[in-house]
Amino acid sequence: MIIGYGNTLRGEDGFGCDVIKKLENYDLKDTKLISTFQLTPELCLDLLEVSEIIFIDACYLENEKYHYHLGCSIKEENINLSHHISPKMIIKLLEGIYSKKPQYSIFGMFTNNFVQIHQINKYNESVDRICDFISHQN
Amino acid sequence: MEKKKIVISPVTRIEGHAKITIDLNEQGSVDNARIHVTQFRGFEKICEGRPYTEMPALTARTCGICPVSHAISSTKACDEILAVRPPKAGRNLRRIINLAQIIQSHALNFYHLSAPDFVYGFDAKKEDRNIFKMIQTNPEMAKDGIQLRAFGQKIIENLGGKRIHPTWIVPGGVSHAITQEQKDEILKQIPQAMDIAQRTLKYFVNNLHKFQKEIDSFGNFPSLFMGLVNKHGNLEHYDGFLRFIDSEGKVLENGIDPKFYKNYIGEAVEKDTYLKSPYYKPLGYPNGMYRVGPLARLNVADACGTPLADKEFEKFKNLNNGKPVLNSFYYHYARIIEIIYGIERIEELLNEPQTLDENIRSHANINRTKGVGCSEAPRGTLFHDYDVSNDGIITGVNLIIATGNNNLAMNAGVKQVAQTFVDGNNITDGALNRVEAIIRCFDPCLSCSTHALGIVSSNIEIRDHHKKIVNIIHRN
Repeated sequence: MIIGYGNTLRGEDGFGCDVIKKLENYDLKDTKLISTFQLTPELCLDLLEVSEIIFIDACYLENEKYHYHLGCSIKEENINLSHHISPKMIIKLLEGIYSKKPQYSIFGMFTNNFVQIHQINKYNESVDRICDFISHQN
Repeated sequence: MEKKKIVISPVTRIEGHAKITIDLNEQGSVDNARIHVTQFRGFEKICEGRPYTEMPALTARTCGICPVSHAISSTKACDEILAVRPPKAGRNLRRIINLAQIIQSHALNFYHLSAPDFVYGFDAKKEDRNIFKMIQTNPEMAKDGIQLRAFGQKIIENLGGKRIHPTWIVPGGVSHAITQEQKDEILKQIPQAMDIAQRTLKYFVNNLHKFQKEIDSFGNFPSLFMGLVNKHGNLEHYDGFLRFIDSEGKVLENGIDPKFYKNYIGEAVEKDTYLKSPYYKPLGYPNGMYRVGPLARLNVADACGTPLADKEFEKFKNLNNGKPVLNSFYYHYARIIEIIYGIERIEELLNEPQTLDENIRSHANINRTKGVGCSEAPRGTLFHDYDVSNDGIITGVNLIIATGNNNLAMNAGVKQVAQTFVDGNNITDGALNRVEAIIRCFDPCLSCSTHALGIVSSNIEIRDHHKKIVNIIHRN
């Protein structure tokens, strides 16, 4: 299961959704794609039979200078649950309530710009790189 | 001892950002306490200059949790501008998605935001009052919360195409009819949802005795109540008329067409919060304080109008011998009864033959330059009021958001709880948690209710009698 999430009206915040849109053109084996505005608790119900989850999101990085780094920087301390939740919470819910322990990984594109897409060519390049990486893994 | 001020910020387990200030006197007792909404959204201004047809989608973006409610009130305002009434199928489908929204929102508040207090108590260690602990000790309850929320969200997805920010609700009706398969898909989820709702109600009622002090002091005071009722005086969430009652149950206003809301509701602005303070005009500000939302809806209604909910409604009414229930702690009780009602009503609406009718939308050009749409959102009565030019461009917007209606009452509740539980000489975490918990009773959605840029985190501030902050307690 590959889950891309974000608000496509808020520039680079829509990165995860744009990756999913692109991945729909790939022939990925045994893979489902979800594009969503935000992660919500009931998303767990779609993940009960899943062996591996890939989360794709834009990650806020204060000093990002639009190099469009891809990486993983999830230090999640917030344990409050609201109408939208973190990947960590999804994994915790799956484990704690449903005794499911899927493997998971998180791809993030560092940005500090949730207003517009700052450099469209580099942004698209980042989308392509993640898609290529995932398709090669698949 | 010097006068001090306590600041709770951010207020936790609510939707949005707020802080609470508690002013202590020289003896260390609470003089006053207030909630300040510290985020500013500004949708009323953002929307000016846009075509009216964009309003349902634009205003739905106000919020990730109740976009459907905004879409409903917004499209109703647009219906007024077109001077059309949607066909029966369109109205029924709007009603169903509105109730689904209410169910999923109420489930979120009860299970995910408030339940840790009910399960572990208000004095439990703060590291235990969260969903992780719930998962460990009460996984079935946590599962029920997810399942019930999923019930509502899946209906929204089934009808609207997506769970968040669906664009299916349009001026004149809805954009497409539903099929027999879609109807059956929803209907087959009903028994499980009802089992969960009944189990939850039983759990809540069986544990009420543990919270008598909170019941007595969590926003327990006389106030007016306002809500929509249908032509029979029963619970109504989509259409109907406004009714105001006082704390004795006397009907002050009845049968008010919501489009005339400005004759009855004034909006005060206070300098320390971005949330407006609506009040009942005839009594003035601030005496015209009223409450909205689940508690108010059950107080103003003569009945729910569905069998199982009416059974529970009767017990609810007996809490105060038939008079309005004044304890804001019972917002939680009313919320569960509304979930039961919502499930029953969705089933009824789906089984009406007209619901599958393909005539789902009325079409017209602009016939009026003003439109007011009103519906009951999870947190209370929601008004969208638009002025448009002859070519349909928005020239003015006024939004009264459900949460805003409760602003005066929330503040009164925070003060009452602080005065009951906070001792300036010995400030305990349990006391501060209760100050936040009274706000959770109202289930405010602050993202929805402030219309002014930027987000400021919310804290509890303690101030002395010179208004100097002597302590800031970060709650997150």
